[in-house]
Amino acid sequence: MTEAILFALFSVSAIVFAFNVVFRKNPVHCALFLVCVLLSLSGMFILLNAAFIAAIQILIYAGAIMVLFLFVVMLLNVKGETPLLTPGAAKGFGFFFALIAFAELLWTVLTRGGAEGTPEQAVVLPPGFGSPAEIGRILYTTWLFPFEVTSILLLIAVIGAVVLAKRKFL
Amino acid sequence: MDAAFLIASAVKVLIVFGFVLVGVPLIVWMERKVIGHMQDRIGPQRVGPFGLLQTIADGIKLFFKEDLIPAQADRAVFILAPALPVITAFLALSVIPFGDTVEVFGRQVRLQVTDVNVAVLWILATTSMGVYGIVLGGWASNSKYPLLGGLRSSAQMISYELAQGISLVSVILMTGTLSLASIVKQQQTMWFIVPQFFAFVIYILCGIAETNRAPFDLAEAETELVAGFHTEFSSMKFALYFLAEYANMMVVSGIAISVFFGGWQGPFLPPVVWFLIKLSLFLFFYVWLRATFPRLRYDQLMAFGWKVLLPASLLNLTVTAVVVALSGAR
Repeated sequence: MTEAILFALFSVSAIVFAFNVVFRKNPVHCALFLVCVLLSLSGMFILLNAAFIAAIQILIYAGAIMVLFLFVVMLLNVKGETPLLTPGAAKGFGFFFALIAFAELLWTVLTRGGAEGTPEQAVVLPPGFGSPAEIGRILYTTWLFPFEVTSILLLIAVIGAVVLAKRKFL
Repeated sequence: MDAAFLIASAVKVLIVFGFVLVGVPLIVWMERKVIGHMQDRIGPQRVGPFGLLQTIADGIKLFFKEDLIPAQADRAVFILAPALPVITAFLALSVIPFGDTVEVFGRQVRLQVTDVNVAVLWILATTSMGVYGIVLGGWASNSKYPLLGGLRSSAQMISYELAQGISLVSVILMTGTLSLASIVKQQQTMWFIVPQFFAFVIYILCGIAETNRAPFDLAEAETELVAGFHTEFSSMKFALYFLAEYANMMVVSGIAISVFFGGWQGPFLPPVVWFLIKLSLFLFFYVWLRATFPRLRYDQLMAFGWKVLLPASLLNLTVTAVVVALSGAR
């Protein structure tokens, strides 16, 4: 029961905040609402027995990446009134991507989520599920290849940033 | 989740809350007195015995001051911003163990608000959220010096968070747990400052930078930025920033004690007293630093964080990892 109430709380707040991210005019307010979305999501992760992911979500996304977002928004001093895309194009793009995301979700729910998600077949969690040790173990065994690919991707981004920043001084 | 558990938790929350609210005026008094003597003055002495009530008087004064919101400010964010660092400081304090389990009415009660099994990450997460209070405060004022102060501190805090996190990771590697209660328990024979001395030095330097205290108080450098991010804040909003700064000093000291100095453990005296002694020594250290060192220049600060502290913490982590792997402890 408590779980259901908390789930409702976090999911509804996540959706409300997400709408605010999209509809607010002021970019700093948008960024702040995005932080709120991330915090609600980390609440959902805790409900899913994934306290580690929840902490990482706050630490990395809400605490570090969003601060950098804000930093850039403040430095650029984007005016709320001047949108990046013309309204028509923005709406077109937005609608297009939203449609893709919706189709994707619908497909996932219809093909897989439906049967497994029913309460009668509730999954029994293996011991240590969601603990840092267990996540570390599967990250370095089962998912080693994707993990390494991701790290190379991040390394490329770092090198790219250094190259871009250096160009000014050459 | 029975009623007794809820009552015990509520009492613990109230104790920690009250401790911070009573402790902060005492720390401020201690700071003014100690700095006074270090600068060959006597410090506050008029209000109450030894000037003890001086900070209470200041608090009352702040409470009755006019609460100004600049006309061009972003009202909602301006009101929200000062509360954020206080909230995050209290959230971080909730996982710091200040004593062993004690028996109250036949029940075992742990002297710690809650023992999250990812406590170290929780603390890093909450302190990283604390940046928002300063950044948003600077931005919402809609004034140039606060904005500069806010931008400075966001860059500074993100830079120093990295080295701080990594220095804690080397201790986690040794203990194999993220729970502060069990990290404290594992220091029964030896404090972790002995094997992890470098990690401690890196941690405490970053901790001082995280709390925006001298010599890393670039965000409020009064010689360059008027008062930095809190220039436009008056009355209780200013008082909240003030409270947050000192509460965050307690957080940083509390973590340092729990991770490197054996937490509440010590001979003869009861655990809570040991915790308080260690906390007072750390807070004294903070004040001592402020009285000793001049403020760093901004580029020196960033260079120090990225080119010295971060590589040093990574090196320390690598050495720790190799030693742990070779000793075959886990």
